[in-house]
Amino acid sequence: MNELEQVELSFNDDVKRVSNTKELENLRVLYLGKKGKITELFSKIKEIAVEEKKAFGQKINSIKTYVEQKINDLKNKFEEEKVKSEIANEKEIDITLPVSTGTGSLHPRTSLQKEIEDIFISMGFTVEDGYEVETEFNNFDAVNVPKNHPARDMQDTFWLTNGELLKTHTSASQNRILRKYNGPLKAIFPGRCFRNEALDHSHENTFFQMEGMLVDKDVSVANLIYFMKKMLSKVFKTDINIRLRPGFFPFVEPGFEMDATCTFCGGRGCSTCKNTGWLELCPCGMIHPNVFKNAGINPDEYSGFAFGLGFDRLVMLKTGLDDIRYLNSGNIKVLNQFGVEA
Amino acid sequence: MYISMNWIKEFVDLSGIETEELIKKFNLTTAEIEGYEEKGKNTSGIIFARIEKVAEHPNSDHLHILTVNNGTENLQIVCGAPNVRENMTVCLAPIGSYVSGHKMGKAKLAGVESFGMCCSEEELGIGSDNTGIMDIDFPVTLGADIKTVFPIDDIVFEIDNKSLTNRPDLWGHYGIAREFAAMFNRELKPLNLVNLNDFSNNKPLKVVVNSKDCYRYSSIAVENITKKVSPQTMKIRLMYCGMRDINLLTDLTNYMMLELGQPMHAFDKNIVKGIHVNSAKKGIKLLTLEGEEHEIPQDAPLICDSNDTPVAIAGIKGGKLSGITDNTTSLLLESANFDSKAIRVTSTAIGLKTDASLRYEKSLDPEITTIAIARLLYILREIDKDVKVTSSLTDVYNKHYNKVTISITPEFISKRIGVNISKEDIINTLEKLDFIVKDCEKELLVEVPSFRATKDISIKEDLVEEVARSYGYDNIEEMPISMNVEAVEQNITHLNEYKTKYLLAEKYGMNELHSYLWNYDEFNKKNGIETNTYLSLVDSSIAGQSGIRSQIVPTLVKFMSENKNSFDNINIFEIGRCVTGLDENNLAIEENHLGICIASQNQTSEQLFFRLKEILLDITRNIYNVAVSIGTEKSNIPFVHPVNSTTIVSADKEIGYFGLIHPSVKMSIDKRFNMAVLEVDLNKLATSEEIKNKVKKVSKFQDVNIDYTFLVPKGMKYSEIERHINEFKAKMVWSYKLTDIFNSKELGDYSAYTFKFNICSLEKTLTANDIDTFNYRILEHMKKIGLNLKN
Repeated sequence: MNELEQVELSFNDDVKRVSNTKELENLRVLYLGKKGKITELFSKIKEIAVEEKKAFGQKINSIKTYVEQKINDLKNKFEEEKVKSEIANEKEIDITLPVSTGTGSLHPRTSLQKEIEDIFISMGFTVEDGYEVETEFNNFDAVNVPKNHPARDMQDTFWLTNGELLKTHTSASQNRILRKYNGPLKAIFPGRCFRNEALDHSHENTFFQMEGMLVDKDVSVANLIYFMKKMLSKVFKTDINIRLRPGFFPFVEPGFEMDATCTFCGGRGCSTCKNTGWLELCPCGMIHPNVFKNAGINPDEYSGFAFGLGFDRLVMLKTGLDDIRYLNSGNIKVLNQFGVEA
Repeated sequence: MYISMNWIKEFVDLSGIETEELIKKFNLTTAEIEGYEEKGKNTSGIIFARIEKVAEHPNSDHLHILTVNNGTENLQIVCGAPNVRENMTVCLAPIGSYVSGHKMGKAKLAGVESFGMCCSEEELGIGSDNTGIMDIDFPVTLGADIKTVFPIDDIVFEIDNKSLTNRPDLWGHYGIAREFAAMFNRELKPLNLVNLNDFSNNKPLKVVVNSKDCYRYSSIAVENITKKVSPQTMKIRLMYCGMRDINLLTDLTNYMMLELGQPMHAFDKNIVKGIHVNSAKKGIKLLTLEGEEHEIPQDAPLICDSNDTPVAIAGIKGGKLSGITDNTTSLLLESANFDSKAIRVTSTAIGLKTDASLRYEKSLDPEITTIAIARLLYILREIDKDVKVTSSLTDVYNKHYNKVTISITPEFISKRIGVNISKEDIINTLEKLDFIVKDCEKELLVEVPSFRATKDISIKEDLVEEVARSYGYDNIEEMPISMNVEAVEQNITHLNEYKTKYLLAEKYGMNELHSYLWNYDEFNKKNGIETNTYLSLVDSSIAGQSGIRSQIVPTLVKFMSENKNSFDNINIFEIGRCVTGLDENNLAIEENHLGICIASQNQTSEQLFFRLKEILLDITRNIYNVAVSIGTEKSNIPFVHPVNSTTIVSADKEIGYFGLIHPSVKMSIDKRFNMAVLEVDLNKLATSEEIKNKVKKVSKFQDVNIDYTFLVPKGMKYSEIERHINEFKAKMVWSYKLTDIFNSKELGDYSAYTFKFNICSLEKTLTANDIDTFNYRILEHMKKIGLNLKN
C-alpha cells in the first residue's frame, strides 16, 4: 500500500513542475510508459497475497485513471495556450485589399436575351434563328408590305448590291417559320435589324428586336391580352397591366400598340413614362390573312397573333444606359461593368 | 396634326364629357394623342376699349399717349403702334391682366406712365398680324372681355401623324368629329354647303386631264372678291392648328384642308384661265409660292394652264406666278384627287413634303373634292356676300374608287375578338361609322363608305378591328390559351452559342462586344488588313462603310485598337453574322462566326497562342463535342502570322483559323501589344460529327503515377511523340500527360520532356513486378523514336 501512495505522491509532486508539452510527455513516459512507475505497479500484482489482490488492483487502476486524467487536462491546457499564442502572433490580414474575380462580361443584350428566351421556353415556345441578309420578298412582300407601299419608305432600308437587303424587322422571318410549322406554333425569333437612319442617343442603324408568334385554331384578341399580361409580368417580375390601342402595321389586322403599366412608377407617372403611367412597349396584332396565305396557310383555318419587343429599349430600361450607341461601340469600359448578368 | 376641340364641337355636341375622357377614349379607340394644350389659359382680362384721344409723346417720335375708355373710366396708355387713331376700338390689356402669360403692370415709357397696353393679334396669339394693334370693326361693349367674342379658350390636342397612316379620313376635323360622334354615340351634324347645282347654268371651265395619276379634278371660278382679311375665328383656328393666316383666299383653302382633309388650291383667275393636268416632260422647272425652284421629275402629274405653262406641282405645291396675292379678286379653285404613290414619289424626289402631299400620300377619298368646293363657297359667302360664282362646277372624274363590300358573320367577329357580340350591336357599331349594313340572315353584307374604302378597309379582319375598337379593347376579358402540351424542340445551336459566350466570359474573363455588319474600310486600309467582300451596301452614305464583312476579326482588331490606351490586356469576342460568298442564285451565304482577339503587353505571343488553343479545344470538346484538327496547314488569311498560325479543320472541312496577328498589322497598331486572333464558323462546328464518348471503367484498385523525363531533340513535334505513345499497347495506361518542358545549356540540342503516366489494373493491385515490366516496355517503346530517359 505504501508503495502505491508513494507513486501517487511523487506524481503529484512531479506534475507541478511540468511547464510545457515536452515535459508533459516525459512525465507520461515516466508513469505510464512501458517501464513507467504505474505500469510497473501492475507487474507487482502477482506478488500480492490473494485476498489483497483485488483491492490492490482497484487501487492501481484508480491511480492510473487519475494520472491519465491529469496528463490529459494539462495537454489540453498547453494546446489551448499554444493556439492562443498563435492567434496573438498572427498578422492581421487587410481584408479590404481588392480582389479580381477574373470574370469578363457578356453584352447586356446577351444576358437579357437569355433571360427572356428562358421565359418563352418555359411557356413552350421554340427559339428560331433568322438571317440578317434577307430577300425583298421575305422582308416586305411576304408580310403584306406590297411594292410601293409607304412602309418601304418609312423604314429606310439598307439595300445590297445583289438585290437583297439587310432585314429591317424580325418579321422578315415570319414566312419561313410559318412554312416550317405549317400550322400551330409558338415561336420567338430574336434578331438584329438594320435601318438606314442617322445615329443619335436613341437611334441606331443596327439594333435588336425580339418577335414572337402564336398560331392555332380560333386564337383571339382576348387570348393575346391574356398572353401579353402573363409574359410581361414574367419579364418584369411584377404584375403588369396592359392596354391596347389601335396601331397600324401591315402584317397584322387588327394591329395594336400595346402599353404596359410603367414599371418605374407603378403607373403613377414619372419621367420614364412621360407622366402617362404607361410604357409603349410592344406593337402586336392578329396575324394578317395575307401573311398566312403567303406562307401557304389557310387563314380561315388558323388564326394567331404576333408581337414585337423593342429589345434594345428594354436593355436600356433595364441597365440604365442612356445612349443606345454604346451597345455597338465596343467600349470595354462601358460594357465590362455589366458582368455576366444584366 | 393639331385638332381644335372648338372646331370639333361645331360638328358634334360633346357637352357633358370631360376633356380627359375625350382624349383617353380617342387614344384607346382611334389614334395616338401625343398631348394637349389648353389654349387661352395664359391670356385673361383683356377687354374691348375705345381710343378717345391720341396725343404726341413729348420724348418719342413713334410713341403716342392715348386716352382709352375702358367702359367705366379713361386710362392713359402709351402705345407704339403706327395705326392708332381716335375712335378706334381696340383690345386693351389693363393692369393685372395676362397677355400670353405675361402679367401687365404699370409701366413708364420714355418717362410717361402707361396703365396697360393695346394689343396686336400676334401679341394675343390669335393671328399673325404684328404691323399694328387690332382694329375692331364691329360693334362691341366697352369693357367686355374679348373672350366673349373671340374663341380664344380652346383645347388643342396633337395626334401622332404616324398613327393616322392608314386613315385618310382622319386628316381633317370633320373626320375626327365623326369618330367622336361614333365613340360617344352623339350625332354628327351635316356640313353647311352651297348647292353646286345652282351654278349649272354657268359656263364650264376648260379642264383637260392628261395624266393617269389625276383621278379627279373639280374646279370652279369665283369673282368679285373684295374681302382680304380672314375673320378672327378662322385666324385663331389656323393658328392653333399650326398654320399662319396669310390672306382670306389662301386661308380658306388651308381652312378647308384642316376641316375636310381635302387639299385645295386657288389660282388667280386672271392668270390661269383653264387647266391642263399633264404628265411632266423631262427637265421642267417650277418656281413655287415660297420662291424655290424645283425640277419636276419626268411623268409626275403637273398642273398647267391652258397654254401648258406649269402652274403647280400637283398635290404638292402651287407656283409663284399663278398664286393669289392681296390684289386677287377672282380665282380658279382646284379640288382634286391624285394617285397616292405618284404624289409620294414626286415629293420624295424633289425633297418637298407639304401638308397637301402628306394627305395625298394617304389615298384620299375622291368623293369629297366637290363637297370641299361647296363647303368653301358656303364659308366664303358668309364672309363676303358679294362674291360671284362665274363658272359651273367643272368636274373631270376619271378614276372612281373601288367600292368595297364585305361579307362577314357575327360569329367570325366574336370568335376573332374572343367576346360574344350580338348581331344588333355589330350592325349598330358599323352604322355609326357610316358603313351600310345589309342583314342577310346568315351573313352581313357591309358596304364600306368611300372615305374608308380607298386604303383602309378591304377585308373582314378590318371590320373586326372596327367592332373591337368600338367595343373597347379595355372591355375585352382576357382569355387563357388552350393548346396541346407536346414538348417543343429546343434550338441546340442557339444554346451552344450561349454556352460559348458564358464560357468565354466566365472562365476566360473575356468581354463580349457587338459591332456592325460592315467592314471598317478606312481602318483596315490604314493597318494593312485585307479582307474579302462579297456584298456591299448600295447606299453607304449613312453607315459610312459599304462592304459587308466576311470575317469578324478585323472588327475586333479595330475595337482592340480603340481600347488599347485604357487596358494592358484586352480579351474580346463577338459572335455574329458574316457573308462569306454568294450562292448559285446570287444570294448571300450567311455564316455565324465566333471571333476572338486577345492582346497583351505582359504576356508573350506564345502564351497568347496557347491561350487560344486552350479556348478552342474547350469550346469544341466541351460545348460542341466535336473533334477538330489543327496544325496541318498554316492559315493563309493575310492578316495573320504566316508561320505561327493554323487552319481549324473538322471532318475535312476548314471551319476557321487562329494564330498570331501578322507582324505588319501588329507594328501598325501598337508594337507593345502581342496579339492573337481566332475565328471559327459556329454553324459548321455545330454540324460536325459529334464525338461518341464511351465512359472508361475506373479501377477499384490502387493506381500508380510514374514520371519519365525524356530527352527530346529540338525540332521534334509533340504531335509525333503523342502519336507514338498512343501506339503503345498497354491496358495498364489509364492516362498520361506532358507536365513539363525543360531547357538548359547542359542539355544542348535536347529539351527535357516530363510525362506523368497513370497506370492501374482493372483486376488487381499492381505488384512491383508488374510495374517493372511496364517500365521496361514503355522505355523500349520510346527508344524506337530515339527518346531516351534523361540520366
